[in-house]
Amino acid sequence: MDDARNRLLKCFSTAFPSLPDSALIQASTTNIEGWDSLASVTLFALIEEEFGTELDVQALGQLTSFPKILDYLRETKNQRI
Amino acid sequence: MTFLKQLAARHRILKYVLEMKLIEALEIIRRKQRVEAQAFRVGLVCGFTPLHIQTFLNAHLQLVLPERRVEVSPGLYGDFWGNLGSLERADYDAFAVVMEWSDLDPRLGFRSLGSWAPSALADILGNARARAAQFEETIQRVSRKIPLTICFPTLPLPPISFCPSWQASRFDIELRACVSAMSLAAAQLANVRIVNPQRLDQLSPLASRLDVKAELVSGFPYKLSHASTVAELMSLMIQRPSPKKGLITDLDDTLWNGILGELGVEGVSWDLEHHSQMHGVYQRLIHSLSEAGVLVGVASKNDPKLVGEALARSDLLLPQDALFPVEAHWGAKSGSVTHILKVWNIGANSVVFIDDSPMELAEVKATHPDVECILYPKDDPQAVDELLRGLRDLFGKATLSEEDAIRRESIRQATIYETNEGRDNDTARDFLKHADAEITINFSKNPLDPRALELVNKTNQFNLNGIRHTETSWQEYFNQPETFLLIASYRDKYGPLGKIAVLAGQKVDRVLHVNVWVMSCRAFSRRIEHRCLQELFERYNVEAIEFNYESTLKNAPLGEFLAEMLDESPTQQCRLSRDSFFKRWTETFHRVMEISNG
Repeated sequence: MDDARNRLLKCFSTAFPSLPDSALIQASTTNIEGWDSLASVTLFALIEEEFGTELDVQALGQLTSFPKILDYLRETKNQRI
Repeated sequence: MTFLKQLAARHRILKYVLEMKLIEALEIIRRKQRVEAQAFRVGLVCGFTPLHIQTFLNAHLQLVLPERRVEVSPGLYGDFWGNLGSLERADYDAFAVVMEWSDLDPRLGFRSLGSWAPSALADILGNARARAAQFEETIQRVSRKIPLTICFPTLPLPPISFCPSWQASRFDIELRACVSAMSLAAAQLANVRIVNPQRLDQLSPLASRLDVKAELVSGFPYKLSHASTVAELMSLMIQRPSPKKGLITDLDDTLWNGILGELGVEGVSWDLEHHSQMHGVYQRLIHSLSEAGVLVGVASKNDPKLVGEALARSDLLLPQDALFPVEAHWGAKSGSVTHILKVWNIGANSVVFIDDSPMELAEVKATHPDVECILYPKDDPQAVDELLRGLRDLFGKATLSEEDAIRRESIRQATIYETNEGRDNDTARDFLKHADAEITINFSKNPLDPRALELVNKTNQFNLNGIRHTETSWQEYFNQPETFLLIASYRDKYGPLGKIAVLAGQKVDRVLHVNVWVMSCRAFSRRIEHRCLQELFERYNVEAIEFNYESTLKNAPLGEFLAEMLDESPTQQCRLSRDSFFKRWTETFHRVMEISNG
């Protein structure tokens, strides 16, 4: 597993502590009951803190699952490079 | 890492300032949620979405309250005034109120699009003043019941005034005056504590506080670091760390500049003229600490005669009697510290030792690992300033009591009584007989004297069971009409000791159940404990007193007293009958003044 994926998993695991890793890597707003708007705010704050980045306000609405967020983080990292 | 932060880290004070991450806070909370522990419930009042301030407050409080499971409950989101108004009806151990500008008028935040036109400013000010009046009235009522910790607005004001940012506008100044007035009114209430804006400014720079994006997206206006800092300062006020009680200072190159043995009495200095001003500032702080009830002693390798002369210099910035005891000799400083601790009769972990020599600090630390040993940075005025600020944090108290003012003198007295301890019975009796002692017994519990709770929460040796109380649990205990409270004050010809003993419990039929009994160690050897029991038997006319006794690591003195009274080792719920007590009764030689329930 790559570094970004591991770090994102740590954020998810903190935001949704009752879920196993196998569920977290598949997590989305549609299959996780506790992923409401407040959980999103906490999750995004954790991600910003962990990755030292600011999530784009316009993109927040699209960041609705673990894979999508991981893709977003990889993409923005590449853009910065 | 700065000195303050090193000090803070060692004392678990501000350990995580600017360092606690959200992920750590959530982890601290998650770990504790799994543990069975008594809840400590905090009501959080804020007008914005509580989110991370709730998380950080919970986590920071959990660190200072490791034995409890902290629960922080916010009220309804966005309803600052409604939540504030409902405080009286809620059942919490403490309240945390985080006010922001937009609580005074929504136009002072970014989530409202109300007018910023110059013509609107007077109306905004009017609203703010009305809200301030409402706030003062509410907290005056609420604080009678539950302790309140308040953080007044911390965010930069939006660019609402027509002036450029470098000019303070009249609008800004009036708005801040409104908050200052609120703050001043709140500061005068006994149960209210306010976050110090200066400390917050040091820890969380103004420019790094506001998170506009978060405010727009989620209604939470603070950057995480600011939320953590605000929460930490509030947690330290909700659950104050125990202040240190005693300071032992070196003399040469610490209390004054120079070596007394080399320069002579007139050669040592503490002023601008001799480039030694910071030693004078240090003396000034020590004087202030001493008047606030901190015990200050001296450990110096020096000629005692010279030390006596130097301390008698009329330009010394603290009175000579502020220092007691003064250990000046050529022996090891650890020995001096041992003697001072014995005279003060306090634990090493309540004491700070300051010396300019790392070697002396290490020598003391090796013998007294619990003493906080701090280097006096004699060649660095900036570092001395930091040291003084650190000492304020270590010794700081929310309020001063009468007892703080007389503590030092009563320690001197105690040494006189300790001398008496070793004497034979007749001599000891004679000594007490001529002490001209007077005890004031106060049974009033309305209003509750804060000194009683202070004694209960800091007394270890003469303590019935070691049970500590929060302000709320203490108040609730005495809300029960059958609960009694006895506070004993003492004075004799050697001076006053102030309020030194507390007993509390309930009368059930002909038995008095004592749940709380503490007495300051300064009051030992005066038969005050005997007199307190006598007063209870006589006032309540009971057949027996039952003690909710629990042996602790430190309460041997109380256990020994009960063993003497009971003729056997005390057990939980042990009983002392009226007959047994009066059979052992010996004259106490106290004049007794009684103050009944008021």
